[in-house]
Amino acid sequence: MECNKEAIKLMHKYLDRELSQKEEQELRAHLQTCEKCQHHFHDLKRTVTLLESTSTIQAPSNFTAKVMDNLPKEKKRVSYMR
Amino acid sequence: METVIKQKIKQVKKGDHAAFEDVVTFYQNKVYQICFRMIGNKHEAEDLAQEAFIRAFVNIQSFDSTKKFSTWLYRIATNVSIDRIRKKKPDYYLDAEVKGTEGLDMYSQLSSDQPLPEEELESLEMQTYIQNEIMALPPKYRSVIALRYLDELSLLEISEILDIPVGTVKTRIHRGREALKKRLRSV
Repeated sequence: MECNKEAIKLMHKYLDRELSQKEEQELRAHLQTCEKCQHHFHDLKRTVTLLESTSTIQAPSNFTAKVMDNLPKEKKRVSYMR
Repeated sequence: METVIKQKIKQVKKGDHAAFEDVVTFYQNKVYQICFRMIGNKHEAEDLAQEAFIRAFVNIQSFDSTKKFSTWLYRIATNVSIDRIRKKKPDYYLDAEVKGTEGLDMYSQLSSDQPLPEEELESLEMQTYIQNEIMALPPKYRSVIALRYLDELSLLEISEILDIPVGTVKTRIHRGREALKKRLRSV
């Protein structure tokens, strides 16, 4: 397996939960033999964990009230969607 | 929840403005998070998220009730953010270091509403760090990363929100993750 392309592609498929059983076996087998790819995979998984662990951003406490205050009183006819 | 939201949207469409309040309450954190991930600072994110909800309200009649409301709303939020990024002059980011200081950015110049407990501060620092790295990505990668890690949105949903093919979503997520991996190595 070519490390730079094929294995990395499988890693991303894994992260997107799109890996077939066969591909998973391929990736597993490759990782057992390739230290470089092991590191790469480890770093990618870590990146995802960091992204997930910081995905708890909260809107300010008075957000809804502000939106409601700022709604136009009469409906305008503006088309937003393209 | 999806059914409750559908019901509320129906009421808003009929002219019941108050019903929109529950919609905002339900989606506020998600919409705010998309905007924050895209624009990188709290004040602008709040402004953008408000604009997104107001646009959704104003254009509610054009929302097709057979579709998922969140897809439509998230699209508005990303579009509002992308428009802002395009118009933005790149030299007044709050994250930028203040001249003559070391490690001080504009965040530290803003007074915080209340003192933060230590734990919260720690996660906030991490949050800020990761956000800085996300801001280093081009906006088109920022948006897919924002959506992918917002709510475990599927690749198909992201493609519908951004109106780009699933293949493009995949490529951008892969590249975005690779770029972030490089930048986050030192954490």
